[in-house]
Amino acid sequence: MRTTSKIAAVALGTTALVPFLGAGVAQAADGSTMATLRPVALNGVPANGTAMVTVTGNRINVTMAASGLLPDNPHAAHIHFGASARHECPTASDDTSGDGTLNTTEGGPAYGDIVVSLTKTGDTSPKSGLAVDRFDTAPGGKIQYERGSINVSSDVAQAIVDGKSVVVVHGVDHNNDGKYDGNTKSDLDPSLPTEATDPAICGVLAAAPAGGMDTGAGGTSDSSTGMLALGGGLLLAAAGTGTFTARKARNRA
Amino acid sequence: MAHLTRFGDRRGSIAAAVTVLLLLLGGGLVAKALTRPEAPAQPPAAEAVAPTTAPPVAPQATTPTTRPGAGPAKPSSASSPDFGPIMEPSPPVSLDIPSIGVGTKGIVDLALDKDGKLQAPTDFAKAGWYAAGPTPGEFGPAVIGAHVDSKSGPAVFYRLGALRKGAQVSVHRKDGSTARFVVDRVARYSKADFPTAMVYGDTKGRAELRLITCGGAFDHATGHYVDNIVAFAHLTS
Repeated sequence: MRTTSKIAAVALGTTALVPFLGAGVAQAADGSTMATLRPVALNGVPANGTAMVTVTGNRINVTMAASGLLPDNPHAAHIHFGASARHECPTASDDTSGDGTLNTTEGGPAYGDIVVSLTKTGDTSPKSGLAVDRFDTAPGGKIQYERGSINVSSDVAQAIVDGKSVVVVHGVDHNNDGKYDGNTKSDLDPSLPTEATDPAICGVLAAAPAGGMDTGAGGTSDSSTGMLALGGGLLLAAAGTGTFTARKARNRA
Repeated sequence: MAHLTRFGDRRGSIAAAVTVLLLLLGGGLVAKALTRPEAPAQPPAAEAVAPTTAPPVAPQATTPTTRPGAGPAKPSSASSPDFGPIMEPSPPVSLDIPSIGVGTKGIVDLALDKDGKLQAPTDFAKAGWYAAGPTPGEFGPAVIGAHVDSKSGPAVFYRLGALRKGAQVSVHRKDGSTARFVVDRVARYSKADFPTAMVYGDTKGRAELRLITCGGAFDHATGHYVDNIVAFAHLTS
């Protein structure tokens, strides 16, 4: 009796585990994604860049290059995702405050919450979203960032592979005085000016093209060999009938 | 034909007529085959594995080396990589590859089809650029594809398979600048086993270029070549 119930418990436990194992396998997403980073609407930062994220299971490797940012100031950079977000970069119509610029919160409906903080060292979770001392300071206005083996949840890995996540680099010097300042406080952290956290450049991490290209119609494929053989054969036959004709003619002569 | 009837032998005149016909047909076919271009050059088929020459990136000590599944979950610190030259974004307008006689103007934008596959240019005389990716000269792999042939003859990338390591590739861009690349390698891959990550994935700190066309055997059943030829190049200036 006791043994039976033990077996039953084990069986039940195994059954209960199966869906989780299944989910784990099904969500082990692999893929290469890429985002071309372009200026966020309204914020007018003359910067550009590219981010590449390679997903292997629950790990991601990130490389990113950008230029044209405010030099020598920290630029928070994140991967954003929200299940109900639009999975895109914000547009001018996201300026719900109507102040003529977009802050990070206003971009939320477009790109969702922070899911990965692209810090240079230490924690990479959303908790480090404003760890300004650990983000790239863009010497010369340039970011050259490379970081491997960042852990993400299965959901985030899947969202990235599916082209639903967005890379955002923050930090906008609205008044062009070479530093983050101004009276408007950050919507994310009132101890910072909004310039420090407003989104500067943005791009959707899109899946790389699948497979190769169909770039030929076969006009120069090797069928000319067959044509040569057929033509040669006909010429040979002509030589045969020609000889026959000639012989007939000679006989008559 | 008149002088043939003089022989008064029907068999002889028929044979003569057949001879003329065969000569015309056979000669025509041979001439057509000979004036027709050779099948395009093919680089050696490559295994779909990582390139043997790894692109130069950060020094070993700072490169993240933890491989997936190789141990506990600790993100490596970001390195301070020394990326190669990178240009501002600007779309391509023309392409020159002197060593294989390519000089093509008017590059069209390419997009993905519903299956996520990169569509080829509809015009056999034009090269196309994958417009959702980086522009040539930006960080990442800029992709330019073109047909190897049309139904009747050679197309823009007819000689891509003859391209060799070290060759120069110039992409002229809309902003008036020129992105100059040098070819690292040229390889042929089965479309059935295409190394997507290697061709379109992370370029490890370099602005790179991919030139893609078709190669291998032509499958008359599908109307497509079975392989792709891919040239890998990186930005030098």
